[in-house]
Amino acid sequence: MKQFLRRFFLIDLLEGLWVTFRNQDPKRIVTEQYPSQRPEVSERYRGAPRLNVHPETQETLCISCNLCAVACPENLIVVGSVRNPETKRKDLVTFTYDLSRCMFCGLCEDACPVDALELTQDFEIASYTREGLIWDRQALEEGPRPTQYRQ
Amino acid sequence: MTSIDSNELVLNMGPQHPSTHGVLRIVLKLDGERVKSTECVIGYLHRGVEKIAENRTYVQFAPYVDRMDYLAAVSNGLGYCLAVEKLMAAVAPPRAQAVRVILTELNRIASHLLWLGTHALDIGAITPLFYTLREREEVLKIFENYCGARLTTHAFRIGGLQYELYEGFEQQVNTFCDQFPGKIDEYEELLSGNRIWRERLRGVGVIDAATCKRYGVTGPMLRAAGVPWDLRKAQPYSGYEQYEFDVPTRTGGDTLDRYFVRLDEMRQSVRIVRQAVAKIPTGPIMAKIAKVIKPPVGEAYVSIEAPKGELGYFIVSDGTTHPYRLRVRPPSFVNLQALPHMAKGALVADVVAIIGTIDIVLGEVDR
Amino acid sequence: MAEEPKPAKAPVVMATVAWDGAIPELLREHLGGSVLDTLLYLDQPFAVLTLAAMLPALDLLHAEADFDYLVDITAVDYPKREPRFELIYIVYSHSRNERVRLKAQLPVDQNPLSAVPIFLGANWLEREVFDMFGIEFAGHPDLRRILMPEEWSGFPLRKDYGITQMDNRWVRNNLGIESGQ
Repeated sequence: MKQFLRRFFLIDLLEGLWVTFRNQDPKRIVTEQYPSQRPEVSERYRGAPRLNVHPETQETLCISCNLCAVACPENLIVVGSVRNPETKRKDLVTFTYDLSRCMFCGLCEDACPVDALELTQDFEIASYTREGLIWDRQALEEGPRPTQYRQ
Repeated sequence: MTSIDSNELVLNMGPQHPSTHGVLRIVLKLDGERVKSTECVIGYLHRGVEKIAENRTYVQFAPYVDRMDYLAAVSNGLGYCLAVEKLMAAVAPPRAQAVRVILTELNRIASHLLWLGTHALDIGAITPLFYTLREREEVLKIFENYCGARLTTHAFRIGGLQYELYEGFEQQVNTFCDQFPGKIDEYEELLSGNRIWRERLRGVGVIDAATCKRYGVTGPMLRAAGVPWDLRKAQPYSGYEQYEFDVPTRTGGDTLDRYFVRLDEMRQSVRIVRQAVAKIPTGPIMAKIAKVIKPPVGEAYVSIEAPKGELGYFIVSDGTTHPYRLRVRPPSFVNLQALPHMAKGALVADVVAIIGTIDIVLGEVDR
Repeated sequence: MAEEPKPAKAPVVMATVAWDGAIPELLREHLGGSVLDTLLYLDQPFAVLTLAAMLPALDLLHAEADFDYLVDITAVDYPKREPRFELIYIVYSHSRNERVRLKAQLPVDQNPLSAVPIFLGANWLEREVFDMFGIEFAGHPDLRRILMPEEWSGFPLRKDYGITQMDNRWVRNNLGIESGQ
């Protein structure tokens, strides 16, 4: 009898609707309004790569050891360097990072002995062309510049 | 009643079909609304993971395993790391093991949540998807805070962990564990009593224990058929023997039972996570292993209980830095094989429910 | 490139130990000389059999020792070795909670028997081995490619198949591009 009344008055469906109703509470809203509200990504977020420079001298920290290029599973890093005859060290000339093939695994960052290469919290790295995703040294040092739209 | 002459109708479902959960193509032979036979056509997402493995070093291959079952990337990573560690006769330190258990169980919850949401969506209940994704977001936030990525996490390394726990990890996980069981009750309120849900699922896609074994079906599907087999209990790895938890089973082996098994599994996962968080040992997070990973000549098969079933890695090492052969035993691939058996005689609309209940991820089926 | 033969190194082999117990005995008792070796490596037992004894061994383990779950079938390609392939079956027993690997060497021109009559689940696993290695299983109910396109030529997981290699004819005909790379 109780079962019949439950069925007759659609209790099961009303129970479900009550859950939906409870969740209408504005305090329970969890969505973010993305372009106007910036999402907060975590500190360890692995996003756009950056080649760090010394904050004062603006000289690159990279020592052209090529370890990142060796560590990369996709072989997408190419480090170009010349041997400096005075200091006997390698000087960085070019650094290419092909973001179109990058899977942001962070192995290059782990391999870097001097914290020069880093995956940053920047996540707006879309590009209109494939070529736009191949970053040279300048782009890596300055970071991505997403197109700004008018409001 | 005289029978009406009907022609057999061949219907292609997929590969672009929202309820095939990816790019699965099913060729259905229909007699009216009844399914006479089904044939799965797979391989649309084949990327040759096993071939890639032979051309990468052991360390380099780790990010690729995340891309097989991308809803349970952490589980994939755990299986792979355990397999290579087995080959090298290395064991991750206790702290690393505890963190691995926490993250893997959270990943099981995340995987089951997405399954629940999409499965309910397939059946016609749209609301649960929003709620499950909301809770899944909490898990993904923990992953992001821990390792910097949400989906393809690359959370573990061979020999232990790369990252130390962040500040507030325990608190964040505990908060999740406190809130989540209430949310499961909420899903139950929405679905378990709902007559449409029950009628759509009860008695659909029945598979009994013996047939499960003949097909090699594992995971929640096997447990819903009444076999309390879980690799975490049967052959514990990564310290699972320290934690108390039950292996939820049901006996009917139909779609409704699999729904209940998965809900109970999420509750058990919360239980494991609570115990693990309460006593994370201190100490190193990385075992003392050589910097260049070069397992000795040999072979090993290591499997774990992934959210979908038994996920195994069979690795043959020739003593170099690259695996000579790496075979993945994907649970979804094997489980999907039982689809023709389960869908035989069902209605077309039930096929959608049956695909959903197998919980396949095409990235893993096709690799 | 003329290759100077390297100074002979001690051949590196798997450091195995003998595997004794009920299952090796059972196998030996019924299959006799076809059981070439029963070994343990890293606490994981495996038996090396002749190819002809593979199916009887699976049947025996299934019927007599309650190995009711076929975990996996796979193969390994050793192009420099004769016979070229190694076929690997992994079986598990729910009641014993034991996992056993069965291995057999397989020459290119021989076809192993299909395990589908014993384990239904072998169907797709064997299809995948066929797809990737070109090993044809005799008596398989539906031996077609499973992951690769059906008209594809070449077997990707063989060692002589390059990582970027593809069936150019298939790519041209079906995708309308010269190369997938």
